[in-house]
Amino acid sequence: MTQQAKQITAGAWADRYRDKWKWDKVTWGSHSVDCYPGGCPWRVYSRDGKVVREEQAARLPTIQQGVPDMNPMGCQKGASWCHLHSSPDRVTRPLKRAGKRGEGKWQEVSWDEAFTDIADAMLDAIQDQGPESIINLMTPEPGAAPARAFTFALNSPTTDGNAEFQDFSPGYYITWGIFNPVSSMDDWFLAELTLIWHCNPVYTNIHWYHYVAESRYNGGEVVTIAPDFSPSAIHADYHMPVKIGSDAALALSMCKVIIDAGIYNKRFVQEQTDLPLLVRKDNLRFLRGSDVAEGDRDDQFFWMDDRSQVLTPAPRGTLALADVEPALEGTYTVTLKDGSTVEVIPAFERLKERLKDYDPETAAKICETHPDMIRKLARKVATRKTKIFSGWNSGKYYHGDLYERSMALLLGLTGNWGKQGTGTRSWAISALDGSSFALNKGRMGQDAAREWLNNLTKARRFLNQDDPTLTLEMLTYRASQLAVERGIGPGGLLPRMIPPAFLWYYQYGYKERWNNPDNNDPSMKRTFDEYLNEALERGWWDSGLAKAYQDVTPRVLFESGGNMLRRQRGGQRLLLEKLWPELKMIVSVDFRINTTGLHSDYILPAAQHYEKIGMGMPSVHHLNFVLIDKAVDPPDLAMNDYDIGIGLVRKIEERAAERGMTEFTDRNGTVHTLKNLVNDRTLNGALLDEETRMAEEIKDNAAYGILPPDSTLEVARQKGTIRWTGWGLVGHGLGQSSTIKPDETHNPFRWHTEDKLPYATLTRRAQFYIDHEWFLEAGEELPVHKEPPGHGGPKRQFKMTSGHNRWSIHSMNLTNNIIMNTHRGEPFMFINNKDAKAKKIENGEWVRVVSDVGSMLITAKISPAVRPGQVIVYNGFEPYMHKEWYSQADVEVGHVKWLGLAGGYGHLQYRPFHWQPIPADRAVHVDVEKVK
Amino acid sequence: MGTITASKRQLAWVFDLNKCIGCQTCSVACKMLWTQDEGTEHQWWMTVNTQPGQGTPKGWETMGGGYKDGKQTPGKLPTPEEFGGGWDYNYQEVLRGGKGRDVHLEKTAGSKTWGMNWDEDEGAGEFPNSYYFYLPRLCNHCTQPGCVEACPNDALYKDPENGLVLRNEDLCKGAQMCARACPYKKIYFNPARKVSQQCIGCFPRIEQGVAPACVRQCPGRAAWIGFLDDAHGPVAKLVNQWKVALPLHPEFETKPNVYYIPPLSPAPLNADGSWNENGDRIPASYLESLFGQPVHGAVDTLKTEMAKRRSGQPSELMDLLVMYKWEEALGHLRRDPAEIVWS
Repeated sequence: MTQQAKQITAGAWADRYRDKWKWDKVTWGSHSVDCYPGGCPWRVYSRDGKVVREEQAARLPTIQQGVPDMNPMGCQKGASWCHLHSSPDRVTRPLKRAGKRGEGKWQEVSWDEAFTDIADAMLDAIQDQGPESIINLMTPEPGAAPARAFTFALNSPTTDGNAEFQDFSPGYYITWGIFNPVSSMDDWFLAELTLIWHCNPVYTNIHWYHYVAESRYNGGEVVTIAPDFSPSAIHADYHMPVKIGSDAALALSMCKVIIDAGIYNKRFVQEQTDLPLLVRKDNLRFLRGSDVAEGDRDDQFFWMDDRSQVLTPAPRGTLALADVEPALEGTYTVTLKDGSTVEVIPAFERLKERLKDYDPETAAKICETHPDMIRKLARKVATRKTKIFSGWNSGKYYHGDLYERSMALLLGLTGNWGKQGTGTRSWAISALDGSSFALNKGRMGQDAAREWLNNLTKARRFLNQDDPTLTLEMLTYRASQLAVERGIGPGGLLPRMIPPAFLWYYQYGYKERWNNPDNNDPSMKRTFDEYLNEALERGWWDSGLAKAYQDVTPRVLFESGGNMLRRQRGGQRLLLEKLWPELKMIVSVDFRINTTGLHSDYILPAAQHYEKIGMGMPSVHHLNFVLIDKAVDPPDLAMNDYDIGIGLVRKIEERAAERGMTEFTDRNGTVHTLKNLVNDRTLNGALLDEETRMAEEIKDNAAYGILPPDSTLEVARQKGTIRWTGWGLVGHGLGQSSTIKPDETHNPFRWHTEDKLPYATLTRRAQFYIDHEWFLEAGEELPVHKEPPGHGGPKRQFKMTSGHNRWSIHSMNLTNNIIMNTHRGEPFMFINNKDAKAKKIENGEWVRVVSDVGSMLITAKISPAVRPGQVIVYNGFEPYMHKEWYSQADVEVGHVKWLGLAGGYGHLQYRPFHWQPIPADRAVHVDVEKVK
Repeated sequence: MGTITASKRQLAWVFDLNKCIGCQTCSVACKMLWTQDEGTEHQWWMTVNTQPGQGTPKGWETMGGGYKDGKQTPGKLPTPEEFGGGWDYNYQEVLRGGKGRDVHLEKTAGSKTWGMNWDEDEGAGEFPNSYYFYLPRLCNHCTQPGCVEACPNDALYKDPENGLVLRNEDLCKGAQMCARACPYKKIYFNPARKVSQQCIGCFPRIEQGVAPACVRQCPGRAAWIGFLDDAHGPVAKLVNQWKVALPLHPEFETKPNVYYIPPLSPAPLNADGSWNENGDRIPASYLESLFGQPVHGAVDTLKTEMAKRRSGQPSELMDLLVMYKWEEALGHLRRDPAEIVWS
């Protein structure tokens, strides 16, 4: 036997296997895609000039003693990414449409021909309708953004990602003035109670769900709140199956239990929230400085000092209470500047009034749950370090802002943010200033970077002359808002952005749908159009070009790294019917042919990961710079995004000169030159080479204090990852409001809870009471439960929910044959077993899902884990995977909640990425029909 | 027929079913590494399935094989349709065929009715007391491997150094008696090469001191590997000391060397919708059908130690399961593969 055993490892067969696991090159890799946190450090193995596989690097160190390390961060998509390099949907030569749009007939053309056609179409559009008629769709793949370099040259607008891909959290923004506070992933280990709520991390956070599982072994508990027995419920201690869209009632009821039992964190409420601020009983507005004294500020608020019974201005520059004991209860009389008196009460009193509607028995009926569950869970939250693991689901509900405000309230009452093991999360990204300011600094070298930083800081000093209490965070926001008002990008790498809702309304054909009462909150006092018109008349959205699209017709549509015909809520039908015929040029820059590409005039072949130098999305979840090195050259004629971007800009410059166009004027009246465009985008040619560019960015990041002083491209190539040492000046990082420490998990808001810096909201506190007149009119000045509207058709039997899936990053990996073989390999929809039986639907059968706006064909996947009356279509199936090519988005209405149009109020005004109307796509009313 | 020779040491895998999230990273890692050639399209040496469910091959648990009272019992040879998958698609027709919406992306090869993870997230029970969990499976590298005994060509062996069950593919003639004998149905047939194939335990990695891909790439940190006789290693501690890691279907009598920490599950709901804090959502009888009688003790130990930790007391078992230092899961196989330079 020994002889035979030796054969085992010595035979030819064994060598064949050994040879499979060999390589001649190892590089660092990651995936710069929107699978936040993303940025997993990988090792990429190549052989004979071809990437053969990747494996997690798994070299991340322990950050905090007693907290598990982050290894081996990655997922199945990352583990088979290189399979996409040679997938049959890969495109490696510029393709020009040779048939009708959507037909799939192509002619291979040269880059020069493609660039010339596209450049001419853009110049035509500028002459015809102005630069605003060139529509660039924001997509979250930073690797794809450089292809849009021309947007800076032409000052053409890019649709704001907040509404375009809609992965943010409006309710958190309303509350905190920031929507993306997240802790680093290792901080989840320290939670004593984790509420998985509006999130499905078992699917979407594959690389760090282990911290939740490990927090249980560390003595914590996990409760999953979801309508279905979600994949993220299976490893929880408790599952709370709530009715779809009842989350605000649940949270508010828990708040009531906590207040009634007197177990709320009074000091935290007094110090960190607006709940002690006084509200006038006559008009329900906050008592303001301008009410009390002539010439006082409109944004000065007050509380009553319980000890002295003196009306005391709430400091705007600090949260520190000093010797004041702000009253949370009672009714007080205040003399106004005209000598009249008015009764005022703390907002907390108003909250208690509101919560009377949410005793556990009443809420349990709304939520279709048991009142004892609400009581039990409320007490747990009040007595433990609690985290709410929420994702991007809540914000996609029509009343998702209310759910999130209610969830934040629950945390606020219990002091559950701003310390380790607490808080919540949504989307989060930072931005590394080295990339953001690569061009702003004007010339190569770190002296230039430091000069730029000095000048930027000096300039910001001028912005707070009328208000010295502005924090650096607030100054950053103000600077970006000023830029938007001037019709330029808000700073750094961000282009000129517009809230796309107005473009959709006027040019994509949504007017009728958005005015249909079925799609709106029945408690609205006026029609959608009345609100829209008022918002426009009051100029709330002027900086976002809202009125421009009343008469600018889009002529060019440019998408890089996205898939609009899958993504756009409201579906393809409207787009193909209303928008497409107006467009003279549609461009898809991608490494593959997606559904939007199929309907484009040109597909420009982009390099893939490992075929160019890049970095993982800067992620607060792990706080590392992650290098994505170039392992191989792009295949055939494919080019990296940056070269595509510059190539197009160069051609625009050339064609403009040939056509005798030297300049043009945008709608803000600003004149833009068409000369010297390439030099402006490349520091006069110095940044053309990708190696030089990355080396410069890393060194700049070190100069800006974001990376350690000795950071270079060489260091990155040795280590793969470099942990951040600071946030830089770009707002997303600053918004975390906590100092990065080398040996501690990161938890946001510690500048507020520990250093007492104010929040960037109107009241400078976590703001639960919004006294904007529209919010008062809506009865939403405080969080409240409202049923989802009947969008899709109020009488239809099912509510369709969704979520990011396990198998893909949107549609990106759904055509990866390896991944397709790990699920059903075709589009599917979960439906409850009893519902399926009643409809005589078999497992795997194609069915038609119908709403008032459209339908799609999809297969049924039957499971008792689905709530009766619910169907779940996880996001991302490529429309061309469906028979007829209509997908989930085609049964969605794509409407926006009217309160998203509110502006002119503190932090509620157009702010790129933060506040604007966003579409709802959850709880769509649908029917499910057998296909004859 | 082959004969089984005892190995000097035995490598074993442990999977924590309370940490496994069914992400298939192990499956994909394995696929990318070993089964990319013609004839292996449908082969997934590593799979994760939703339990209760039919898994892959469809209904494998009732296909027979293994031993009964020490004697080999006959087993069924799973059909390609039962394994499922092996799909390819009409990419060219859809993307470049000029047919527009008359066509859609659909399967052009492989099973029409099943896939390796077809019943993903379906599970059992009735809402709201539905239940399921994920079960990762690979070759069990059994101590009493029925496949070895069944092979008419002496192609299968137990590696004497580490106990891996390996196939000399140069001797394999594709008789598939092994696949009939294997009660776990983890042996595939390669129609292009006319040989059977299964998990090779990543032996090329192991001989370089690198852990198998399914363990080293598990982002859920749900997998360990190590020698069963390394008393200080987590594998031996979980299997032998704490007895919380159990073999799957011990009644198959092949003495498998892949062990599972059984799944806990959320409190079920009473008829009135309140939580039943003392109930079991996953029926104990179902767990017993998978892991045998010892599962009850294992679950009790897990619950006891979790309760201890919740009351602030230390627990060595909980520390093991937390896996503070990920490398500890790799046993002696901690080498970083990126550091290897092939000559």
